[in-house]
Amino acid sequence: MKRIPTALLGLGVLALVVVILPFTATNYLLRLTTIAFMYIALASSWNIVGGFTGYPSFATAAFFGIGAYASGILRAASSLPLPVTWLFGAAAATVFSLLVGPAILRLRGHYFAVASLVLAAVLREITNAATALTGGGMGLNLPTSGVVNVDMQTRLYYVSMLTAAVLTVSLAALIWRSRLGWAMRCIEQNEDAAIVLGVNTLATKILGFAASAATAGLVGAIYATWIGYIDPTDAFDDLLSIKPIIMAFIGGVGTIFGPVAGAIIFLVLEEFVWRNVLNFHAGILGIIIVALLVFMPGGLGSVGRGIDRLRAYGRAGGVGGAAPPVVPS
Amino acid sequence: MNFRTVRLGVLTLPGATALRVAARAAVAALTVSGIMTNGLAAEPAIRIGAPLPLTGALSPEGVKLQQGYELWKDTVNAAGGIAVGAVKRPIEIVYYDYQSVTPKAVQLAEKLATDDKVDFMFSPFGSGASKAASTVSERYGIPTLAPTASSSEVYDQGYKNLFGTFTANDTLSEPMADIVKARAPNVKRVAILARNDLYPLALGQEFEKSSKKRGLEIVYFEKYAINTLDHASALTEIKAAKPDWIIATGYINDMILIRKQMADLGIKAQIVTMINAPAYQEFIDATGPLADNVTSATWWHPAVRYESKDVFGSSVKYTEMFQKKFNALPDFTNATGSSVGVVLQMAIERAGTVDRDKVRETLVKGGFDTFFGPLSFNGVGQAISYVPPVFQIQNGKPVVIYPDVIKGGDLKLGVR
Amino acid sequence: MLYVQILINGILLGGLYACIAVGFSLVWGVLNVINILHGSFIVLGAYLAFFAYTKLDIHPYLFAPFAALVLFILGYAVQLTIINRVIEAPVLVTLTTTFGLALLLDNLMLVAFAANFRKVSLKPPLGIIDLSDTFPSIDLIVPVDRLASMLFALLFVGLLYWLLRHTVVGRAIVAVRMDRYAATLMGVDTTKVFAVTFALGAALAGAAGALLSPIFPISPLAGTTYLGKAFVICVLGGLGSVSGALVGGLVLGVLESFGALFFGPEHSLTLSFTVLILLLIFRPNGIMGKRGFV
Repeated sequence: MKRIPTALLGLGVLALVVVILPFTATNYLLRLTTIAFMYIALASSWNIVGGFTGYPSFATAAFFGIGAYASGILRAASSLPLPVTWLFGAAAATVFSLLVGPAILRLRGHYFAVASLVLAAVLREITNAATALTGGGMGLNLPTSGVVNVDMQTRLYYVSMLTAAVLTVSLAALIWRSRLGWAMRCIEQNEDAAIVLGVNTLATKILGFAASAATAGLVGAIYATWIGYIDPTDAFDDLLSIKPIIMAFIGGVGTIFGPVAGAIIFLVLEEFVWRNVLNFHAGILGIIIVALLVFMPGGLGSVGRGIDRLRAYGRAGGVGGAAPPVVPS
Repeated sequence: MNFRTVRLGVLTLPGATALRVAARAAVAALTVSGIMTNGLAAEPAIRIGAPLPLTGALSPEGVKLQQGYELWKDTVNAAGGIAVGAVKRPIEIVYYDYQSVTPKAVQLAEKLATDDKVDFMFSPFGSGASKAASTVSERYGIPTLAPTASSSEVYDQGYKNLFGTFTANDTLSEPMADIVKARAPNVKRVAILARNDLYPLALGQEFEKSSKKRGLEIVYFEKYAINTLDHASALTEIKAAKPDWIIATGYINDMILIRKQMADLGIKAQIVTMINAPAYQEFIDATGPLADNVTSATWWHPAVRYESKDVFGSSVKYTEMFQKKFNALPDFTNATGSSVGVVLQMAIERAGTVDRDKVRETLVKGGFDTFFGPLSFNGVGQAISYVPPVFQIQNGKPVVIYPDVIKGGDLKLGVR
Repeated sequence: MLYVQILINGILLGGLYACIAVGFSLVWGVLNVINILHGSFIVLGAYLAFFAYTKLDIHPYLFAPFAALVLFILGYAVQLTIINRVIEAPVLVTLTTTFGLALLLDNLMLVAFAANFRKVSLKPPLGIIDLSDTFPSIDLIVPVDRLASMLFALLFVGLLYWLLRHTVVGRAIVAVRMDRYAATLMGVDTTKVFAVTFALGAALAGAAGALLSPIFPISPLAGTTYLGKAFVICVLGGLGSVSGALVGGLVLGVLESFGALFFGPEHSLTLSFTVLILLLIFRPNGIMGKRGFV
């Protein structure tokens, strides 16, 4: 039973670090940590659909972008306080997921993956075209948040993103422990069997989709006001769909804290790679993705297995058999 | 004991225990970052922040800007640096690559302001990114020079710290429209195809205004999406509208494609204006004989003749020095990169200090004689002091046709 | 007459689109892998053709088979070393893996070739066929290079069709597409078939790239645009089917042409993606349905 205390220790260390930072760190570090919270929230948000129900969702970018634009447009057009605009962003993304979900959640496997991937592309084009509302390709400039003091501003967003991350992870944990979570796990293992059992699979999937949308939308909304400028290519960037998946893979798909750990590790990797390799970061990200998925499909827990396979790969001269199926741990 | 078992024993439950690893990684990162302080400069260099799109869709333009910055920096540092009062201080430019992603440019500007604590800044590339990043400059009160911000929308936020060396978009459309009216009186119908992007669309709208002002009829005005691969439909419609003057705006790849498809569809017009691509040699190379008689306007051209009191001395000398360093003629993007450096330098030298408020006041007063042209700024920080030349590709070479003082030829009509 | 011209534009475009998509469709149908790398393969083929033309004076249409060969070898290698290891994994893993590979290839090309758009300008240019020269009342124009590219593209597609119908390898591929486990029982070496199919997909992408090089500007960033079209065409035409890709390509080309006319050019991309989503929801097997096997 040594595992539980060490996990708690890890949590404790993190919590301590998170609380102390605003008082001691530079603005740069605070901004970096704010991005960490953003990644944690997005990875956890994806995990609700991708990890719990096993549906390969690439829709994170779509939800994020809607949250960003809804919140941005409201902010630019009115003087409502920030948290209201953020909630509006989350609500807009949720409504979207409820509209689109029933249609595309009937699809499975490949078709669902493609449909969710294409959602972001369609939204990108629509946003580009609706220039009067969204600024189109020229982007949306948001007025500054009214708090002119730099330090206050940084800490404001630190706390906001932290709240979003905590909310998302808590929501994931709540769902996991609830009957909804049980239904999702059934779907992930065998959807047809779940239907036979009497699980309302469509409703379950839609609820999960909506939860994912609300959280990703909230993050997008905060992001928009934080940066002060959004444009369609950035708000609906495909990488926003891919990176959370990788983060969840690193830490362990389908767990509660896996995405959290994965997000932190991913950010540390990204920050150090990015600092040093100016013109090849996308390539390195690609290498990381391939190495991870091919050699360590179970995330960190299968590091040992992964190294074995690397060795086997080298020994056998390259041509191996098929990979074992991915088992979320 | 088997090494593998020990290792596996350390990493058991993926979720919660990976959290431990992550916690350790985070603490390690914090420690390392905490150790890293801002670089202690041995000499008191003047530091200028320059976020650039060195990778991504805008990287060709980003590289050109960087060449302009570097030429200026090397020339000044070779002479000892910028004269601040009695002392000469060298220049250091802090670059970051924002990968052609505008929000990253804004984040990097923020980083330059708060972490690298630069003294001054150069804006990122283009009207959109310049506008977005100007909020950061305003927030921290850092005088910022924008080398590539021509749309007046960039300057409409009431900020005090932004100064741009490009004159407004209508300075590209008005002279062109005048020339058309004067030399091609039977041009009546105008078609405009603009990219759906801040600068190209704003420019298209300026051409619409300029044409209407002179009684010309707009028979077509549409926008095309940013990643359009095929313009055949739009061009087919344009052909059906039988325009005399066709205007197209966008970036270099769009212009090359449109020019080629125009020829594919057999579109002929008296005048074809494309902005900005014909200013780049790449356009002429890619379109070959199709480039002939295409007109364009640009903020600077090696053919201009300005004498200046800056570190280059004159536009001719600038062209020579650029050619020596980079083995190619400078285009307007290279030149504007150098121009922002030159203006900043003259402002600091005039103010006699690097104090931001004093430098800002000096910039506001204007009156800088540079190789790029005389530079003074209006109330919102945009340059208003020179006339961008209009040119036409004749026999594969750009020939300036306006203003008269530097012109090398006259407008030729008819584009096949 | 305007509409006929738009129709012709659409058909010319459609033939090219078919060539872009057929390799993607084959890989998706047979290996069950959504190959995000496909767009980058097309761009690589285009670059190879560009350098062959500017440095070695080899005409892109003549070079296309060589581009196909180079990409065939590359595809074979990539499949055996990497894709094969995840081939039994769920679509999440395979799609993300090919996405990672695409990131890598795109970045490599960016570093090697820089992001400025290149274009093959044929000297002498091929010109246009102006139908009003011979039939004065018909005011239609057909650009010769697009026509040539389209015809060569259809030739490649036809070659693939012949391969799949009349060679042993081809029949094996079709068998695996129909039912991979039954094919194993029939003695088909599925690993080899997967490798060959992926390589064929890459080869067609390379050929498509070479044929596109005189028409569209070339840049590492163009890959995703071609990929987007391939998605739509696959779903329009049905997976793994050559005739489906052909029909899908033509339909998309014509749809985009008319769409740009009626809704404005800035909406053409929205239109294709919306069609895709609607199809996925209401008719995922596409226009040809599962009937179009080869």
